[in-house]
Amino acid sequence: MNTSLRGKYCIAGVGETEFSRGSNRTTRAMGAEAIRNAMNDAGLKPEDVDGMLSYHGGDSTPSTSIMYDLGLRPNFYMDCSGGGSSTEALVGLAMGAIEAGMADTVAIFRSMNGYSQMRIGGTGVRAASPITGIDLLKRPYGMISAVQQFSFTFTRHMMEYGVKNEDLAHIKVAHSNHASNNPKALMKQRVTVEDVMNSRWIIRPVAHLLDCCLETDNATCVIVTSAERARDLKQKPVYILGVQGRGTKPGGDFHYQHGPISRVAGYYVGPRVFELAGVTHDDVDVTGCYDAFTYTALLQFEDYGWCEKGEGKDYVTSGIINLGGRRPNNTSGGHLCEAYTHGMNMVIENVRQLRGTVDDYCPQALEGVHTYDYSEGHCRQVRDAEVSMNMGWGTPAVGSSLIMRR
Amino acid sequence: MPSYVYRGQQINISDADTEYKGYFEAAAEHRLVVKKCLDCGLLRGEPGPGCPWCTSLHWEWNQVSGKGTIYSYQIVAHTVVPSFRDWAPFAIVLVELDEQSGQPDQYDGLRITANLVDESMEPEKEENVAIGKRVEVAFLDGEDGFTLPQFRLIDEPPKGTVWLHQL
Repeated sequence: MNTSLRGKYCIAGVGETEFSRGSNRTTRAMGAEAIRNAMNDAGLKPEDVDGMLSYHGGDSTPSTSIMYDLGLRPNFYMDCSGGGSSTEALVGLAMGAIEAGMADTVAIFRSMNGYSQMRIGGTGVRAASPITGIDLLKRPYGMISAVQQFSFTFTRHMMEYGVKNEDLAHIKVAHSNHASNNPKALMKQRVTVEDVMNSRWIIRPVAHLLDCCLETDNATCVIVTSAERARDLKQKPVYILGVQGRGTKPGGDFHYQHGPISRVAGYYVGPRVFELAGVTHDDVDVTGCYDAFTYTALLQFEDYGWCEKGEGKDYVTSGIINLGGRRPNNTSGGHLCEAYTHGMNMVIENVRQLRGTVDDYCPQALEGVHTYDYSEGHCRQVRDAEVSMNMGWGTPAVGSSLIMRR
Repeated sequence: MPSYVYRGQQINISDADTEYKGYFEAAAEHRLVVKKCLDCGLLRGEPGPGCPWCTSLHWEWNQVSGKGTIYSYQIVAHTVVPSFRDWAPFAIVLVELDEQSGQPDQYDGLRITANLVDESMEPEKEENVAIGKRVEVAFLDGEDGFTLPQFRLIDEPPKGTVWLHQL
């Protein structure tokens, strides 16, 4: 394993658009804004950004359009097919491109009208398209949405390990508490376990409505450059200690043919990213565990080794993942409460956490002055956060991870 | 390219489809088939072009008994597909076929997705859906020649642990 790049690269800038359910504009317009915000955050001019990477599911605008909109002339760009877990993987690819001499500073973006145009949940465009190929064994049976595609894994997990819906609800509760201190969050209202349990069922036994993330219109961006280059930029660099992506479990799309069915890709990704980063679980102060659904977070907590397999229910109900707990998770509110962005918002949040400048309701938040009062409408900065870890989820079979240090 | 309509959804099976066309052609003859590797002899639940165990690209369709056990399931309480709304709540089951269960690895099996239906091809009652229950294939014939393999409960003792969610 090549550990020679540990700490050599960093995230120098982050940016996003408003999170909304009805942007009334194109993915091109949003993508340009998110990249521009990240460039301004970093203090980079158009001539300083010579690489672009994006990911999409046929629902975005390519780099070649947006480069015009911001006057960029990349020496390197790629628009990759992918959803969740792509952010972390592309951070690694950006490092590789820079290391290969193809570019010096790479903007990674994702732009999606995930509510008003292409809904990942399947409503609208996707449900109306003809059924062919791999979908022939799924959609004729009424199986189309992401929560359905992953649910065989978790129903079986519930049988094997005795997780209850109340346990899952604690994840939503924690993330909603965090979102209540995030002015950007789509759903800022704090909820209770009862609220989750009383929300309507989507798929039994794995998900009520409030166990599901918020389809969102948004664009997001992070900028990767070398630590050396970042030295004279505007922000304190956040160093990349280790990155893995997109790692898989056996079977790929057909993971349910092999087993154990309740094991997810993090089982394979976790040991590699910790070795690469040279840190242990105990060193990590804040996590970003992909919460497409409450159960995706729980499955990953287990298989990345934050607890034993089957003890995820204890991990998520113990208070560890709450602000003020040992290792808060998704302090922005994550996909469940801030916005569904295919993972990038959780990386952005951890960059801000490590800078100490999370944009909460503290009056001097952007100068790094926080109250650490985690009650509603106040602070969400983790005290003295030094190391973060992101765990991106694509499917039960696909995952990525990124460990960063301030 | 054969094109069908099932529950308001257009289904296109390309003449050049090397994965799923044979599956539905057999279904129209009320036969459930899986692919068999002509080199190592193992069956595979997903009808892909290569053998996951020996990489051979040589295969043939192989008829199976159609009997199996519910390995996992989901109850669709809310569907995003308009033409399925009158069916909800309905079950989608992952059935492990009797053939090659636990082979070549203890966690492997031939697993097929379908709805769990009753004698009249309507969704089975939710309280009857459980991991471990025994099932058999049933073929739902459409009016335009499209046949969809489904599964029904059969009166046989369950296999392994019986589990269903408690509400």
